[in-house]
Amino acid sequence: MSGAIATSVDIILNSLVLGGVFLIVAIGLNITYGLSRVMNLAHGSLYALGAYAGYTLVSLGLNFFVALLIAPLLIAIVGLALERTIIAPMRKRSMVYTLILTYGLMFFLDGLIKYFWGNEPHFIELPGFMRQTVPILGTHYPVYRLATLVIIAAAMAGLMLFLGKTKIGVTLRAASHIPEMVSCLGINMTFVHIGAFVLGCILAGIAGVIAGPLYTIDPIMGHEMLISSFVVIVIGGLGSLRGAVVAALFIGVVQTLAEFFITDLAMVIVYVMMAVILAFMPLGLLGEGRFE
Amino acid sequence: MSNMKDHTLALNAGQMSKFSLKLVASSIFVVCLAIFPFVITNRFYISLVNEMLIYGLLAMSLDVLLGYTGLLSFMHNAYLGIGAYIVGLFLIHVAPSSLWLALLVGIIGTSLISLPVGWIQVRTGGLPFALLTLAFGMMFYAVAWKWYSLTGGDDGLMGVPHPDITIGGWVLGNSGNPTAMYLFTFAIVLICFLLTWRIVHSPFGAVLETIRENEERASFVGINVRKYKLFGWMLSCMLASISGGLFILYKGYIGPTTMHAFAGATVLMMVLLGGMGSLWGPIIGAAIFIFMQDYISTMTEHWELFVGLVVILLVLFMPRGFSGLCDHLIRFKKE
Repeated sequence: MSGAIATSVDIILNSLVLGGVFLIVAIGLNITYGLSRVMNLAHGSLYALGAYAGYTLVSLGLNFFVALLIAPLLIAIVGLALERTIIAPMRKRSMVYTLILTYGLMFFLDGLIKYFWGNEPHFIELPGFMRQTVPILGTHYPVYRLATLVIIAAAMAGLMLFLGKTKIGVTLRAASHIPEMVSCLGINMTFVHIGAFVLGCILAGIAGVIAGPLYTIDPIMGHEMLISSFVVIVIGGLGSLRGAVVAALFIGVVQTLAEFFITDLAMVIVYVMMAVILAFMPLGLLGEGRFE
Repeated sequence: MSNMKDHTLALNAGQMSKFSLKLVASSIFVVCLAIFPFVITNRFYISLVNEMLIYGLLAMSLDVLLGYTGLLSFMHNAYLGIGAYIVGLFLIHVAPSSLWLALLVGIIGTSLISLPVGWIQVRTGGLPFALLTLAFGMMFYAVAWKWYSLTGGDDGLMGVPHPDITIGGWVLGNSGNPTAMYLFTFAIVLICFLLTWRIVHSPFGAVLETIRENEERASFVGINVRKYKLFGWMLSCMLASISGGLFILYKGYIGPTTMHAFAGATVLMMVLLGGMGSLWGPIIGAAIFIFMQDYISTMTEHWELFVGLVVILLVLFMPRGFSGLCDHLIRFKKE
C-alpha cells in the first residue's frame, strides 16, 4: 500500500516537472507568436543552446544558479542579433517565409551546436546539496527536481508580473491586440517586436538550463522539445497563455503516465490526444481564434 | 482595319512562336532524359539522375500543396516513407513479383493514412496546419523507428525483392537493373508530371489557387475551402506515395532517417531552390540539390550548417527560386 502511494507521489511530481519544462518552452514560443506574430521554429534549438551555454558556464567553474541567470542573457543577445538581421525583414512577407526561414535557422543552430560541442551527450554538474534526495510520503525525491518546480513557478510569476504590471509588458500586450493604435500613440513598433522575440529567447534559455541536469544534453534535445511545445500550444490555443498552462500540465501528466505504463509509444498517445482534441475544438482548448 | 489585322496576326505569331519554343525546348529536354542512359552508361550517373527524378516527383508533390494550395507541409517526406514502407512490405510478405499491384496498394494505403490526418489538419488554419504536419510527421517517424517487428526499426526495411517491370506482358527488365529502373522511373515521373500539370491548370487548380490567394473571399464565392484543401492534400500525398514506391524499387531499402524532419527540410529546400508554384521548378530544384548534396557531403561532415545557411539565404534573397529567376531573365531580356 505504501509502495503504491510512493509511486503515485513520484508520478505526480514527475508530471509536474515535465509539464513545467514544457510550459516554459511552450510559453516562450507562444509569447513570441502572440505578441509579434512570429512563429519561431528555431525555438527548440535556442532551448538547446541555453542548455549548452549553462553546461559551459558550469564547467568553467561558475555556480549553477549563477549560470541560470547568465545563460538566458546570452541567449537573449543571440536572439537580439537574429531578430535584427533575419527575422525583421520577414515581417512584410507571407507567414510561410517566416516559417521556412526559422526552419532553416533551426538546422543552422543545430549545426553550430554540433560544430562546437560535438555529438556526444553532456551533463551539468549540480552543487552538492542539490544532488541529495528528500523523503516524501515514503519515496525519496531528488532535491533538484523540487527546486525545478520552485524555479518554474518563480519564472512564471515573474513573467505574469512583467506582462501585467510593468509599462513595457502592458505595451507589448497592447501592441499584440491593435498594433496600429499603439504605433499611433508614438511607441516604436520595432522595439515591441524586438522585445517580444527577446522575451521568448530568455524563456527558452531558462528552460534549457533547468532541463540540463534533468535530462542529457545532446544536439537533438531541441527537436523533441519543439515538437512537444507545438503540441502544447496547438492544444492550448495559439497565443493563449492560460491555454498553454493547462495544456502543458495536461501533456506532462499524459506523457508521464504513458511512459510509466507503456514506455515506447508514449509520444504516439500524446499525438492521438491532440488529434482528438483538435477534431472537436479546432482552435484548441482556450483558443481565441485570432490566428490566420 | 488592315493595320489592326496585321497587329493581331503578329501577336498571334509571336505567341505561337513563344509557345512552340517552350514546347520544343521541353520536348528536347524530355528526349535527352529518355536517351540519357544509352549515351552515358556509367551506373553511378544513371543512379544519380534516377534519384533526382524520384526526389523531383516528391518536390513536385509538395509544390502542389505549397505553391498552389498555399499550405505548408514540413514533413512531406513522411508520405514518401509511408508509401515506400507499404510497397516494400507488400513485396516482401504478399506478392514478390507483382510490381503494379504493389504500387497501387502503396497509393491506396498512403491515401487511407493521409485522409484522417488531412481531415484533422484542414480543420485548423494556415499556421496550425504547418505545425500539425510536423507533429504528425514526427509521429510517423517514431512509429517507423519503434515498431521493430514490422518496419525493422533503426535498421530499416531490408531484403525487398526486385520484381520485373512488365507493361502489358512485355518485360522491360528487372527493377534491380539501373537502366530499366531509370526508364521506368522516368516514364512514371513524366506521366505524373503531365497529369498534375493538367490538374493544376484545370478549374480545380484555379480553385486551389483562389484559396491560396484569399481563403476568405474563396469561401464567400461559395467554395468549400476545407473540402478543396483536403483534395489538394490528398493529391499531394498520393504523388508523394508514388515517389515512395519508386524509391523502394530503386534502393531496395528504406530506413527511418528518410522520414526524419531533417529530410523534410531538404525537400522544402528543393522546392524553394526551384521556385514555388511552377511544378517544373521544384524538379530542377531537386536535381540541383541532389547534385550539391553529393558534392558537398564528400567535403564536409557539417552538412546541417550548410543546409540551414542556404535555406536562410534563399528565403532572404531569392524567395522565388530558380523558376522565378528564369521569369525575371525573360522579362529583363524583353525590356
